[in-house]
Amino acid sequence: MSKELIFEARQLTKHFGPTVALNKVDFKVYKGQITGLIGENGSGKSTITSIAAGMQPATEGEMFFQGQSHKPSSMIEGAKTGIGMIVQEQGTVSGLTVAQNIFLGEENKFRTMGIIHASKMNKAAKEALDAIGFTGVDPSRSIDSLNMQDRKLVEIAKVIYNKPDMLVVDETTTALSQQGRTIIYDIMKRMREENKAVVFISHDLQELMDTCDTLTVLRDGNLITTLEKDQMKEETIKKHMVGREMKGDYYRSDYDGTIDPQVVLDIDNITTGTGLLKNFSLKVHKGEILGIGGLSDCGMHELGKAIFGEEKILRGKVTHITSGDQITTAREALDHSMGYVSKNRDKEALVLTASIQDNILSAGIDKIANKLGVIIPKNRKAYVNKQVQELSIKCASVEQNVQYLSGGNKQKVVFGKWIGRDCDILILDCPTRGVDIGVKAAMYQLIYRMKQQGKTIIMISEELPELIGMSDRLIIIKNGQLSGEFARSEVLNENMIIDVMI
Amino acid sequence: MDKSIVIDETNSKSSKINYSTIISKLSPYAGLVLSIVVFQILTGGKLLTISNLQSLTNQVIITALVAIGAVYVFGIGCFDMSLGSLVCLGSVVGGMVAIATGNIFFAFLVCMIIPIAAGIIKGIFASYVEVPFFIFTIVLGMVINAFVLVILGKETTLYLENAVTPIKTFNFTEMTVINVLVLGGFYLLCLFLFNYTGLGIRVKMLGGNYDAAKQTGMNITKIKITAFLVSALGVGLAAFLILIRVRTVGYSTAVSTGNDVMVALVLGGMPISGGPRTKISAGIIGAATITVLNSGLAIMGLSTGTIQICRGIVFLAVVLVASFSYRTKMLPR
Ligand SMILES: Nc1ncnc2c1ncn2[C@@H]1O[C@H](COP(=O)(O)OP(=O)(O)OP(=O)(O)O)[C@@H](O)[C@H]1O
Ligand SMILES: [Mg+2]
Repeated sequence: MSKELIFEARQLTKHFGPTVALNKVDFKVYKGQITGLIGENGSGKSTITSIAAGMQPATEGEMFFQGQSHKPSSMIEGAKTGIGMIVQEQGTVSGLTVAQNIFLGEENKFRTMGIIHASKMNKAAKEALDAIGFTGVDPSRSIDSLNMQDRKLVEIAKVIYNKPDMLVVDETTTALSQQGRTIIYDIMKRMREENKAVVFISHDLQELMDTCDTLTVLRDGNLITTLEKDQMKEETIKKHMVGREMKGDYYRSDYDGTIDPQVVLDIDNITTGTGLLKNFSLKVHKGEILGIGGLSDCGMHELGKAIFGEEKILRGKVTHITSGDQITTAREALDHSMGYVSKNRDKEALVLTASIQDNILSAGIDKIANKLGVIIPKNRKAYVNKQVQELSIKCASVEQNVQYLSGGNKQKVVFGKWIGRDCDILILDCPTRGVDIGVKAAMYQLIYRMKQQGKTIIMISEELPELIGMSDRLIIIKNGQLSGEFARSEVLNENMIIDVMI
Repeated sequence: MDKSIVIDETNSKSSKINYSTIISKLSPYAGLVLSIVVFQILTGGKLLTISNLQSLTNQVIITALVAIGAVYVFGIGCFDMSLGSLVCLGSVVGGMVAIATGNIFFAFLVCMIIPIAAGIIKGIFASYVEVPFFIFTIVLGMVINAFVLVILGKETTLYLENAVTPIKTFNFTEMTVINVLVLGGFYLLCLFLFNYTGLGIRVKMLGGNYDAAKQTGMNITKIKITAFLVSALGVGLAAFLILIRVRTVGYSTAVSTGNDVMVALVLGGMPISGGPRTKISAGIIGAATITVLNSGLAIMGLSTGTIQICRGIVFLAVVLVASFSYRTKMLPR
């Protein structure tokens, strides 16, 4: 079967000030194929696809779409020519309903004599949602009442509704649980069957190898190679990505799951304000890596927040055992040497318009100030640089705003912000979201090192391999209740967990 | 990981300088120089005469004191419209105390205590009450203005000459020394608190993203109250300096200070909504620019109303340009 070209970039170059995000990249996408795109954080994956979709212009180079010269000036124009993109960051607009989000900018379709018919719009929205198999959400609901996964699905419905000929999926799956992922995989496969094209960006090698027909590797803004299906091997891909052999452990290598009998946190019979957790109890032990998994709306994300005092608790309480104090606010949690990496990076974990430096410092300023509260610039710099280096945060300077970082690098800033503080109890909600494998390995080693120093880590994650690979003890939540608990063991596998999850 | 050094030192220091950041950093200074040059020409050299320089300095000091402190308050995202009224209240009550006791130290205390008390109230309000803060400060400003009228009663102006025991008159040199010391000291204090303690980062974070700041475990009430207290110091010092320099205070003392301060912050290069681009220098540079603007327009013989219109236009233009260049950078990714 001869491959038919749908999109081509020739010598595409993009500069951001001193940063070269793309360097003369020749990139081809074919019809009837899922083209994978992989590369370290900041290698230019989002940049090249967002240029194709019209979100930003290229500095130099040409693009062709369906044989025509392609130079979209906006995302709307890009969508009109047939390129739809599901963006890495949150793409829905707060304060609107689900339906309004789906038809943002297209309200005129539902306008007769100046009035927008909400019922018509809701009906069309329902169809759009049904079309991707996302049922059970009322389109007239406010988008803010949805969790992150559902918001993402709304966004997907919006993109698919416009029937794109080429669909870009930018690192969407890490924000989704299995159910959401299945929806995306189905959409991609359907597009391939309809002889349309998909560009799929992910850091999950397995996922890429399973779904993609070809896999293009970017490194530091250069296109390194494009692998065919039979060339896709984990080792080969990694080597192309980082430019050298990757050695060392990925997860921790030991299977010693002994748990210190000393309890540090007691979560006693809590029911949260959103009603997602009901009469939930849990004891957290000193020095353990406690993995928490489940479906996305099972209540595990709320549990993390509740422990940190950021979720309204209707009944029950969270007690810090060592001090005997109850934790009800983030402030108290911090005072008891707790830290929390939120899943909602852009909204809750970062100040996007602030510099990398200020974001990293924000959680640890009291740690670097001397007794009089004075901060010596040298200490401040050392503190920031340590995080930047330890996590390989790719930036032009630490004074750069975090909003200009690539998705994975933003996540590293959040991680660094809390790691630097040296908390005794660290709650991590999807800590490796969007992070490339190299840095993921570094993060896992950091987490393991903290455990060995006697620190307690609560790791909430959508990624089962990561939970299995790291946890001393793994609990699974289902519908707000404990549905399974596993000790660390070599034989533990995903199927055993999925059984109690669904 | 062996690939550890990733901050590209060579890049940031190389010839490819990031022009846009430099331009945005320098533009407030350029604005100041430009307005001095333009008005020096338009007024036929009357802007920079010795006598006008004296009055310029006096005005800059007052606006700058209030504006530098206000950087903290606007920085955390609190739009405070009561600053001018508080300067007025401080100097009027301070004047009354001075006249009644003949003691300048008591007057100083009163000038400081009034804004500090108001600052605490504002801080508590901003932390606990769910009414938009700027509305609260508009109302507060109106109440204060009315209160000043009430306590002044029949006399509209207070004269320090009427004090029970004479209050020292400072000559020009003495006044200049006091002005420079007070402004310099306050500026350094604010600069220090902002850049060498945790306060500055906390202010920027809080103004930039409330949720993220809260989740970082910051004591938000404490930060807010601290910000209002720093601002109150500036207001109090301004009230006291007006009192001892002008020696006559009344209902219309510092009427335009509140507005000047807002315009000053914007002209000084910080967003009026606060957040990460908050900086102390905005207070002092902006105060100088707005004072030159006011003075230049006045020398040119424009009426107060026309001056107000001109200032409004400048204000809007700066806000527009700032928000425009800000938006284009915010690409969704
Ligand atoms: N608006 C911007 N301003 C400045 N630099 C930017 C901007 N957008 C991207 N960059 C830089 O361009 C480079 C490529 O970023 P890009 O977002 O394409 O990476 P990515 O491959 O998608 O990474 P990730 O896996 O983390 O999502 C990064 O170094 C990033 O810091
Ligand atoms: Mg990206």
